[in-house]
Amino acid sequence: MTDAHPLIERYLTRLDAGLKDLPAAERSEVLGEIRNHIAEAAASGKPIDAVLSSLGSADDLARGYAIELLLNPPPAGQPAERRTGRFLKLAGLIAVGSLPTFIVVVVLGSIGVSFTAAGIVVFLAGILAAFGALPNYVTMDTAPWVAVLIGPAVAILGALALVLLVWYVKFTARLVRRVVPRLAPAGASR
Amino acid sequence: MSVTSPAIGEWTSQLRRGVLELCILQLLKRSASYGYEIVTMLESLGPLAAGENTVYPLLRRLKTEGLLETFMQESPAGPPRQYYRLTSDGRRRLTTLEKEWDAMVSAVERARRTGAGS
Repeated sequence: MTDAHPLIERYLTRLDAGLKDLPAAERSEVLGEIRNHIAEAAASGKPIDAVLSSLGSADDLARGYAIELLLNPPPAGQPAERRTGRFLKLAGLIAVGSLPTFIVVVVLGSIGVSFTAAGIVVFLAGILAAFGALPNYVTMDTAPWVAVLIGPAVAILGALALVLLVWYVKFTARLVRRVVPRLAPAGASR
Repeated sequence: MSVTSPAIGEWTSQLRRGVLELCILQLLKRSASYGYEIVTMLESLGPLAAGENTVYPLLRRLKTEGLLETFMQESPAGPPRQYYRLTSDGRRRLTTLEKEWDAMVSAVERARRTGAGS
């Protein structure tokens, strides 16, 4: 069997690592399929390194799978929690894609989360202060209505950043998907 | 190389992507097939040739969408193969896509004739 070839094993190990976000059953089916592809191609007389280079790098292949499957989840009605999980995975995938996307996702994500949380806390603190429930070293002589007004404004800014993040992730995912087929023909079209 | 400029390359790759889905469904219309065979058949179709790293993920997606289903079958040599075949949803999708395709092709033809006639 050609299966024991160290190059093939290295490729499949790398692919397996790249697929770690897929369900276990899906993942083993994908690995089996690619292993099979390599075996069939080798059996037809192609050298192993040609077979592997025509498959493209294991990382690119894994990303191709991850993007296809995350963008097109099973149609069955899913609870909101799982959809959120899927979005976070997609955001992660896009963040590690390149330095600019990493910066955008991290900046929008941290602004979104921190501003939203801070806005809510400030708003609540303002209400507490209005009832005199907060000591002076917390309010620092600020009138309660200032906090009550600033809180929602900051929270809205945070929410806006989160909306932008969602839009950006969806946009980039669509873009990446369009580019993926372009990687392919280099090996196949001649 | 048939690709002459980045703009044409982009146009072709987008076109190919949509058509690829149609072609995979068409290839599986007559009989079930497995990954390597599908890739090889697509390769023989010239301009449609798409790399394995496009075709395999696409096959998985069509399966997750419920258009294809898989089953295992022994191969004369080597490990058992994973075969793909159309589901009834897949057949319906194929009929729809074929209609869309025909409509599109005839629209392009009409536009061409109009352009040539004037």
